[in-house]
Amino acid sequence: MGNSKHLGLFLLAPAGIFVILFFLAPVVLTGVFGFTNMSTATGITGGSYMVSESAMRPLRSRFGEDALADQLSKRIYTIDEEGLQAAAEAGGDAAALTELRSNFFNESFGNRREVETAIKSLNARPSTTRGIKIISAQFVKSVINVRFDTFEELLTSIADFGIELSDDQIEALADVTYTGWTFTLQNFKTMVELPDTRKTLINTLFYVFTTLILFNTGFALVLSISTHYMPTGPAGFFRSIWLLPRVTPPVLYVLMWKWLAWDTGFLSVILEPMGFAPRNWMLDSPTNAWVFIILINGIVGASMGMLIFSSAIKAIPASLFHASEVDGATRRQQIWHIILPQLRWPILFITIYQTLSLLTSFEYILLATDGGPGGATEVWALSTYLKALQNYGGALQYGYGAALSLVLVVIGISVSLIYLKLFDFKNLTAPPKIE
Amino acid sequence: MKHQLLRSTAIAVALAVGAAGAAFADSGKEYNLSVAAIAGPTDIYRIAAIEIAADLLEREYAVRGEIVHINIEGRPFTQWDEFRQAVTLAAEAGNAPNIVVASHVDIAPWAQSGLIVPAEDYVDLDAWPLNDIYPNLLEITSFQDQVWAIPQDAESRPFFFWKPHMKAIGYSDADLDGLAERIRSGDYTLENMLVDARKMIDAGLVEENRGFWPRPSKGPDYWMFYMAFGGEMEDGNGRLLLDKTSMAEFYQFFVDAVELGVIGKNHIGTPWDQWHGALTSGQVGMWQGGTWQFAEWTGKYGMDFFANATFSLVPGGGDNGRANTLTQPLVYLITDQDDEEIMGIAGELITIASEPRINALHAVNSAHLGISKAEETVGLYAGDRWIREATPVLLPFASAQPNNIFFGQYFEVMFSGLQAAWTGQKTVEEAIADVETELKAALGDNIVIK
Repeated sequence: MGNSKHLGLFLLAPAGIFVILFFLAPVVLTGVFGFTNMSTATGITGGSYMVSESAMRPLRSRFGEDALADQLSKRIYTIDEEGLQAAAEAGGDAAALTELRSNFFNESFGNRREVETAIKSLNARPSTTRGIKIISAQFVKSVINVRFDTFEELLTSIADFGIELSDDQIEALADVTYTGWTFTLQNFKTMVELPDTRKTLINTLFYVFTTLILFNTGFALVLSISTHYMPTGPAGFFRSIWLLPRVTPPVLYVLMWKWLAWDTGFLSVILEPMGFAPRNWMLDSPTNAWVFIILINGIVGASMGMLIFSSAIKAIPASLFHASEVDGATRRQQIWHIILPQLRWPILFITIYQTLSLLTSFEYILLATDGGPGGATEVWALSTYLKALQNYGGALQYGYGAALSLVLVVIGISVSLIYLKLFDFKNLTAPPKIE
Repeated sequence: MKHQLLRSTAIAVALAVGAAGAAFADSGKEYNLSVAAIAGPTDIYRIAAIEIAADLLEREYAVRGEIVHINIEGRPFTQWDEFRQAVTLAAEAGNAPNIVVASHVDIAPWAQSGLIVPAEDYVDLDAWPLNDIYPNLLEITSFQDQVWAIPQDAESRPFFFWKPHMKAIGYSDADLDGLAERIRSGDYTLENMLVDARKMIDAGLVEENRGFWPRPSKGPDYWMFYMAFGGEMEDGNGRLLLDKTSMAEFYQFFVDAVELGVIGKNHIGTPWDQWHGALTSGQVGMWQGGTWQFAEWTGKYGMDFFANATFSLVPGGGDNGRANTLTQPLVYLITDQDDEEIMGIAGELITIASEPRINALHAVNSAHLGISKAEETVGLYAGDRWIREATPVLLPFASAQPNNIFFGQYFEVMFSGLQAAWTGQKTVEEAIADVETELKAALGDNIVIK
């Protein structure tokens, strides 16, 4: 029993591991990635060193090392002793190598295909492409387009060709030839410079607070209070109806909205006889798009607040209502003086919870408008997803996406702190004075 | 008689045991390769071609006296995003598929990150059948002076006209037959097209906003309109290029089309099935689509294509415009593996899969264009009217997106600018100014702006 105080820790350990692996680690990694230039092109696990055409461009433009770039860009293949030995070790055909030595020893070629043409001219040419490739790979005497795992290997290779480098040149070369990601603040600079960043931020705040005030808290309050004054049966019925969108799969739910809105849809059919030309009502203008986005999200989001508020109202002692009725209070006075003060805690909870959830939720927007028309409904979370995980040209920007989501985390925490202050959290959680 | 039977049975048994013993002694080398590809129902030959190639290669080895067994595991995908995430993340985790069928635009970022190796190190480009591949396709699979991939198919994104409507606004059959040539020579431009589209609407042949329908979603097709106004995507020295004048004319074209009522301002986002349905039933006057969509139009939508439609390059526009089309070939890529031998086998497999007869299976089955000259003479391919007629009109004039690690970002910026102008969120001038700012901030020296 002496160990019992550790028993809880022990029992929680599996959950702890899961939390660390699937919640904490991704957040920490996102924080780290946000300060890198990580992308599809740099890879995630790290890079290597390669003298390539695109690496030589900054060597010329940024460091003015034109002569060095020219030297490094030269391509030479020479049939020499070292290469022949390496080819033999790699399993190159012995007869072909003997003939290659006698016919082409010390000859140089401008590229690998010329070497292969030479190999194919031999009487003992290997019968497979692989056989030829094994041999031709061994005679390269240049560094261009060769991938080196470490910078030292690249330097050794360059030294082997008799190119001497100054310290400045070595530094420049390390900079331009590295193919992996590096730490940088560039993401945040870019974010500030981009004209659309501010628009996305305004969109996000508009989306979150409009949906929150109108639906997730406001309409939820209306629903819970109005059902409170209904007989139990109908009240339960109405509440279950408002739960339906919540239990409908999002893809189907949004698809029904689309059927309602598109140019051959329900709205167009109804409105056409009234003189409104058929159109895609959802994407017709930014205002339309916002109306739909807020409705789509709000109708789903109101149900949670409704449940919480309803149960909180149920928990208010009935005697309070009876007493107020004896005193002649109206419904409005009951709501104002009894229900709302008692709901302060649940309202705080729902407001914080739904703000955070709206800030990070973009699935309904992605499915409904995909940020359209013309980026008018692109919110921060959607923009993060698009940058980090969706690119038509396959160039995913993990680093920039992570930086964007880092900003979202900061906004989320700040907003929560403001709420706690506004709702006077300390007083809400203070021990009751009577007991 | 009995003795003979016994003797022959004994011989047979001895032979069988010997054969079994030999087989046991030399059961051959076994190679396991996986192939990941975008492969919907009509694209099964992207993977099946490798399986056929594996069979042929095993036989080639056997003839040479080597026993090898090559097992192919196909990993088909239908969504690009999912496919790219799966391939790149698998590669980071060290189990990349051995062969990947991807877009040629994937070459640059994947080459830079070391995910793939240059195909030219594992195949013989000077030998059959690779020496017969169209040179412009091999150009498209090159990056920094190396051939990184072998073209798997080709396509093109042409312009289509609904013939009955064209006739109704005054075109004769002879006019229609000559239209493709007029477009190629620059005699019929995008401006003429807008006028004709408006005529169709005024004549009540099609409804408002249905004069001209381009692709309803984001896609490389829109670069054709940039090129139609004289734009280039790269400067010729491997740097991306933004030609502001051409980009502005291209945006302005869509803004004008909206003002004319030829196209809706929220055309992007039209559901694909609605798009296919409308244009295959004469509800749209002109449209821009892809050669591979022919299979869907004539199959699923029952369109009588040749009776109702004619096709051409995308017309040029403006003062410096040129008619053009775009091809986005999918390519066979070999991923970087620890085992050189496996990469060698992969090289041999994609070489065999490029045989005209094998590639024609994919081309005809999926209404794609072929990859080599000899393929045009394969009966299956030559017998397909659509491919036979489309190949010479389009493929020689097709350009492609550049292989550049920053191109993906340029693409997204171009398209968001287009959408902002098209839907009226920004004026063309504002959109271009924002595109320029964004490209400068995101790409810096890696793009030339003129």
